Amino acid sequence: MNPKDYRSALAPVWCPGCGDFGVLKGLTQALSDLEVPTEKLGMISGIGCSSRLVGYLNAYSFNSVHGRALPVATGLKLARPDLTVVVVGGDGDGFSIGIGHVPHAVRRDVDITYAVMDNGIYGLTKGQASPTTELEVKRGMGLAGVDERPINPALFTLSSGCGFVARTHAGNLPHVRQMLREAIQHPGFAFVHILAACATYQMPGYAEKLFQRCEMLPDDYDPTDFSAATAAADTTGDRFRLGILYRRPVEQKLAAPADVTRGRADNWSPLGGATEAEETAPGDRG
Amino acid sequence: METGANAPSTSRGTGEDRKTKKSVLLTLVGSGGDGVALLGDLVMWMAAHQGLYGMMVQSYGPQIRGGESAAIVRIATEEVLYEGEEADLLLCFRLSDLARFRGSMRLHDGSVVILDAVEEGTLPEWLGRTGRAPLRYPFATIEEGREVPGDPKNMLALGLLCRALGWAKGLAHAALEHRFGHRPQLLARDVAAFDRAFASGEVPALPRLVGRGVPLVVENGNEAVARGAMDAGLRFFAGYPITPSSEVMETLIDELHGRGGRVVQAEDEIAALGMVVGASFGGVPAMTATSGPGLSLMTEMMGLSSMTEVPAVIVDCQRAGPATGMPSRTEQGDLYHAVYGGHGDFPRVVLGVFDVVHARDVMHRAFLLSETWHLPVLVLSDAYIAQRRQIRDPIIETHEAPRRQRWTEGDGPSRFSMDQVTAPFRVPGTPGGQYMAAGLEHTPEGNPTADGDLHQRMNEKRFLKLETIAARTRDWCRTLGVAAAPKGIVAWGSQYGVLREWVREHPEYRAFLPEILHPFPLAALTEWRKGLESLAVVELSYQAQFHHMLASLTDMSGARSIARSGGLPFSLSELAQRLEEARP
Repeated sequence: MNPKDYRSALAPVWCPGCGDFGVLKGLTQALSDLEVPTEKLGMISGIGCSSRLVGYLNAYSFNSVHGRALPVATGLKLARPDLTVVVVGGDGDGFSIGIGHVPHAVRRDVDITYAVMDNGIYGLTKGQASPTTELEVKRGMGLAGVDERPINPALFTLSSGCGFVARTHAGNLPHVRQMLREAIQHPGFAFVHILAACATYQMPGYAEKLFQRCEMLPDDYDPTDFSAATAAADTTGDRFRLGILYRRPVEQKLAAPADVTRGRADNWSPLGGATEAEETAPGDRG
Repeated sequence: METGANAPSTSRGTGEDRKTKKSVLLTLVGSGGDGVALLGDLVMWMAAHQGLYGMMVQSYGPQIRGGESAAIVRIATEEVLYEGEEADLLLCFRLSDLARFRGSMRLHDGSVVILDAVEEGTLPEWLGRTGRAPLRYPFATIEEGREVPGDPKNMLALGLLCRALGWAKGLAHAALEHRFGHRPQLLARDVAAFDRAFASGEVPALPRLVGRGVPLVVENGNEAVARGAMDAGLRFFAGYPITPSSEVMETLIDELHGRGGRVVQAEDEIAALGMVVGASFGGVPAMTATSGPGLSLMTEMMGLSSMTEVPAVIVDCQRAGPATGMPSRTEQGDLYHAVYGGHGDFPRVVLGVFDVVHARDVMHRAFLLSETWHLPVLVLSDAYIAQRRQIRDPIIETHEAPRRQRWTEGDGPSRFSMDQVTAPFRVPGTPGGQYMAAGLEHTPEGNPTADGDLHQRMNEKRFLKLETIAARTRDWCRTLGVAAAPKGIVAWGSQYGVLREWVREHPEYRAFLPEILHPFPLAALTEWRKGLESLAVVELSYQAQFHHMLASLTDMSGARSIARSGGLPFSLSELAQRLEEARP
């Protein structure tokens, strides 16, 4: 299927110039690359500008409540392991109100891709500070929390034990596409930090400056080296390194418990009733 | 299921029945480590094994582990749902442990009292008097004036209890084998201690109870909830530990996997219900269980479940008080929250649990309603039911699990179609069924909207579910007593047990208890209350939440409220006193 086939009929309500357009495009390209059937795609989000994205996809989408996309996605994926489940959202949704769920989703290592579009601002509520808003921005724009350091989402997920952490920039479409593709393919919880400028509520010049601060990881970078990953995730040198920061070697993945199977009651098998054989086949994925 | 049935009319309260003992009440008091709970469990197992009925409640301090604890066990020849007050036998290892239970236990003329021989004090005044001198047995092993580890006290006590009850030694051995067969050393030690006490044989005999001869089932309220849910099709559970509901999750951890399901211990209750909503969005019947504080956290998700029309079953084992309150105590104070809690208007169903046997049935009803009408269904249990053990008849009837109606390709209505009360569920994986479930107000197709007129019509459509449900659940209630009785009591949930005994002893009373609290079976109540001379509403809620809820539905101006908090269930004697006070 073409990337376009992954789009719904809805037109995005985002502001012109919003970084989320790039993510929507990169995601449809990645899904097309992987040939994910649209009826097998579960798209989950919370609330925020970027969380609107799930409505623009041709998928079984769930636009839930603020900060709770990860629990909803975890329940869906555990109950329906046959689906490809992708969570999208913003920095406020994921790293303020919803941050309590992040390390737990990470340590459960459920096979979900979590893409956070981080524009460092609350756009939907018109320009309040988010947990990733940088100090200079808060000071420059007179926002709350001028004495509160921002969170580094990549370091946070790494330190929680995330088996796949990548960073990309919404303006680099081929890279967004590649990172999302790799993340969806990763057998476990995968986190993609997507830097995306807000066209309306960020400081003038922020988008350009952000883009200039990005640099690709070197070709000889070893993503299985955890120490190197923490150094690469660090942004204290004012640089954002893009690429797969960390990828846990496959042999370190813990064995997963058995999937949910059709039980005796068999009232939920998603596509019609179970047969005798299915009822007695443990491990059947429904 | 029993609906609108009268209580069995075997005993009509002349006072005679209480003397011709058909039940025996054992009150076992100890401190952490004495193992009175295990002792009670063993007695219950032995009773069930010989076809006797029974019920056991435990009482702890606020710290849940350690400290004084009591096991109150009533053994009977017919089903019991109320433990009673006057102990036929009180066993107490240390008199100082009694103080905490002031007011919740009492002796009668013929009570047998067993104390430790080292205990030199006398029984407190508040306990009442027995005509018999206490039996003093050397439970503690004393060396050089100090207590040292010796024979397990609860096993010695079991020997004495079996003597008093006239139960065979072999039955106790079987119980111990059943419980500790996998730990031979421990088993040998326990059996030896039991035998030693059993051989002493100097305990006064309690009234002899004859069982049905077929083994019965011991189950607590949380286990019954968990197993009822599995029978009703539950395949996904997420929960967070909280007293007094944790055993629902623990039971499911042990038993759901074998039936093809999955249990997740979530990071908090918000996540627990979030996962349930996610799993159910995937087409899998899902449930969570919690207690008051957890329900508070789940409130936003309840609205999401209702708004997105994703079925969810939420069990709330009510405990006492707001905030942390008294976690191990019981109350009925979550009614407002269950019925009214949450922002915005959304339909939900609230069911109440009467006792352990009913818990299984009510779970089936909960899944039937949620899977049919795609909305959250709350099941209100409480600590009194959740943590009691009850002996019940073996389960023979198995309901067929409800099935969620599925959308199939080309089969029409949009997910939130206004043409029907509930459109077929679009299960992910079904080609062509892609849609968005949104907590935002949405069009019939699921697209976000801020159209006020559409919002109004969507509310009408969603609330039509409650009307439809109400029409089909109008007889979801139970009545006790005879229709001619002039005095009425309305109550709900675990009040069923004590009221069942009250009405048996006081035939001038009858009682009405709804099984569905919201939407309320009002027509049934209206019909039932005809001809009443007086009406009282009995509940464990400081604010009298149930009474006020009823008053918002119908004329309750003549009704008296018997409502309190306190964390302990009503006893028959308290009811007698309060009904007297409440007389108009």
